[in-house]
Amino acid sequence: MTIDNIRSQIAPTWCPGCYDFIMYLGIENALKALDIPKEKVVIVYDIGCIGNMADFFKTYAVHSLHGRSIPTAIGIKLANPELTVIVVGGDGGIYGEGTGHFIAWARSSVDISVFVSNNNLYSLTTGQTSPTTPKGSKTKSTPLGTPNEPIDPVPLAKAVNPEIDAVSVDGHNPIEVIAAFKKAILHPGFSLVDCRQICVTFGKQLDS
Amino acid sequence: MSSNVFTIKIAGPAGAGIKSSGLLLSHILVRHGFNIRDYVEYPSLVKGGHNTYQVSFSKDTIFTARYQIDLFLSLQPKHWQQHQPEFTDKTIVISEDATTTVPLKELSTPLGSRIYENTICLAIACYLFSLDQQLCKKIVSDNFGQQSPNNQAFQVGLDYSKEHFSTQIISSVAQTSQETGLAIHDGNESFGWGFLQTGGNFYCAYPMSPSSGTLHFLAGKQTEYGIQVIHPEDEIAAASLAVGASFAGARSAVGTSGGGFALMVESISLCGAADLGVVFYLVSRPGPATGLPTWTGQGDLLFAVNAGHGEFNKIVLAPGDQQETFDMSGTALNLAAQFNIPVIVLSDKFIAESSASLPDLSQQKIDQIISTKPLPGTPGKEYMANSYEHDIDGFAIEDAAPVKVSVEKRLAQFEEIKKAIPSPLFYGSKTAQNLIVSFGSTKSTILEALSMMDNKDDFAFLQLRSVWPLNPELEGLLTPFTNIIVIENNAHAQMVSLIKSQFNFNPQKVLLKYDGRPFFPEELAKLLNS
Ligand SMILES: Cc1ncc(C[n+]2csc(CCOP(=O)(O)OP(=O)(O)O)c2C)c(N)n1
Ligand code: SF4
Ligand SMILES: [Mg+2]
Repeated sequence: MTIDNIRSQIAPTWCPGCYDFIMYLGIENALKALDIPKEKVVIVYDIGCIGNMADFFKTYAVHSLHGRSIPTAIGIKLANPELTVIVVGGDGGIYGEGTGHFIAWARSSVDISVFVSNNNLYSLTTGQTSPTTPKGSKTKSTPLGTPNEPIDPVPLAKAVNPEIDAVSVDGHNPIEVIAAFKKAILHPGFSLVDCRQICVTFGKQLDS
Repeated sequence: MSSNVFTIKIAGPAGAGIKSSGLLLSHILVRHGFNIRDYVEYPSLVKGGHNTYQVSFSKDTIFTARYQIDLFLSLQPKHWQQHQPEFTDKTIVISEDATTTVPLKELSTPLGSRIYENTICLAIACYLFSLDQQLCKKIVSDNFGQQSPNNQAFQVGLDYSKEHFSTQIISSVAQTSQETGLAIHDGNESFGWGFLQTGGNFYCAYPMSPSSGTLHFLAGKQTEYGIQVIHPEDEIAAASLAVGASFAGARSAVGTSGGGFALMVESISLCGAADLGVVFYLVSRPGPATGLPTWTGQGDLLFAVNAGHGEFNKIVLAPGDQQETFDMSGTALNLAAQFNIPVIVLSDKFIAESSASLPDLSQQKIDQIISTKPLPGTPGKEYMANSYEHDIDGFAIEDAAPVKVSVEKRLAQFEEIKKAIPSPLFYGSKTAQNLIVSFGSTKSTILEALSMMDNKDDFAFLQLRSVWPLNPELEGLLTPFTNIIVIENNAHAQMVSLIKSQFNFNPQKVLLKYDGRPFFPEELAKLLNS
């Protein structure tokens, strides 16, 4: 079965203008372009606005726990290496709650592709600081300014394993996003596509 | 030494090979046709301290190691002293500084190292129990290799014994050596064999005493059995990997102790929400927190039963000994596949790190129940395993009506689960005056204690095997008895609370032990009659 339709019956519920739509179309386009049989695709979603994508596709999928999408995906890939396994998560889930897993499995050569909506915020929970929020930014949980240095995920991942395919792309640019997703899926090892975004609803505060 | 059960204990510092020589002794005893049950004590350190290995053996059925020692071998001076309560007036204590002095240091000097003293002691034990010396020497050389100085050490021990001891010190042991075909397995290995023999193929664990034995055992079987064993970054990852593998069709399990299990709890809830069958092998040690890493206790019963937020279906099985650990490892994998739920196998250090002579588990197959869920890769069956409340295709739901349907679906499944879990085991007469009730590792001690008691017929014994759900038969089995005695290896009488939470239950006596040690049969026999 080819991939002509992997959308579910449920219309996306993101805010109008949210850049998660671009990742959604990016995944759809990349899978179509690569012509991967639909039944061979497993997407593991983290929890967050971006994780809500789970309901908008109909493939084999796990909507896992906050921060635990990477080890869940690794378990799937190890149990059945024939599958194309993709992780979809946010900066909160992948670089915060799941940092340990992110570093641990970036060290591996297990072939999964991790797509991160990096909007520098915990958005689903209405806009608290995340590990990539610029230092000093005022958020709901840090009204006095985010106290710590942000992490830079691509150099961080590359530092533990130069062999992985890790890129940071402009998440507002569909062409860049689709190209990076395709390349990551084709890469025969661990890959990371960090999509830099602004959360149109809670992100304005980050400019201040 | 009037009974037909004999007990040998070896003591010395960590690193002196107490456990390895003890296990070799047990192996020798099994090859002589004895049944064995052993018990090991050691502190959480690598060198020094005080380690012990004790083994009880008999030609008859034996359930667990006894407290009272017939032959005590102290590898270093003084190590016997703290064990005097375990001695009778007939106990032979061998040490450089005890009643029967053996100059171990002098004997080992020509061998070039004191590390051979454990083998010298082993030879003394074999001599005193009049074991077949040729057979013993063969087993020792098979174990260490023909070139090993341990062969000489063994001979040194035999020669010294011949010169200094009469073989008749310990008389009444039946010496006929006959092969029984029994093998020695500890509880952790038994779990591993049950996993392998039921088609288990994906095991994840982060090292934690006393569960690591299964990790090591299964890791060593990966190539032969074509299974995957993963030691990931933490217990959360271990559980998540097993969850993912289960989704992709693996028969997966994780192993841990209380602290690691605490980290896995969110994943247990995920299994319950997303219909994913995973087996959680929880080997308790006393807590709270890091607690007593190398000791035993049953303090995690209610934690296991209540593990996971929200209301969902899970099963908690409690094996009572090594054979049951094997059986329930298989049962757990099958129940996880049948119902697509988390199944916890609750053991403890006393079972997991004690060994028993059992029919060779490598030769026993267990029938498999296979999950009927569609596997990724199957065209047209795409669905989502969802941690959110969801409909039949896995899509998230929030409306009241479908949420209610989903919850009630789980409630209905719970009734099916109750029919599938192991029933309690009843030992003795339904008209006995007293009924002992327990779960888990106290089983073997209770049975051994009863076997020692003249008035054993006054007691029946009911062993819970599924501690969640409680088997519906349980209430009916308890009702006829007015005099109920509960035995638990914890301080809060957790099983009493658990049973009380389901129906009326008022035991007359509750015997608890919570010092990191298991009950011993002699101790329990006394308590039962007091
Ligand atoms: C264990 C746990 N802690 C907290 C939460 C609440 N939670 C849900 S989403 C989220 C943050 C999501 O942030 P991110 O991953 O960046 O995704 P975004 O919403 O920004 O797309 C949090 C903290 C949870 N679901 N589980
Ligand atoms: S809150 Fe932000 S991230 Fe979430 S859907 Fe709205 S715009 Fe997108
Ligand atoms: Mg975010």
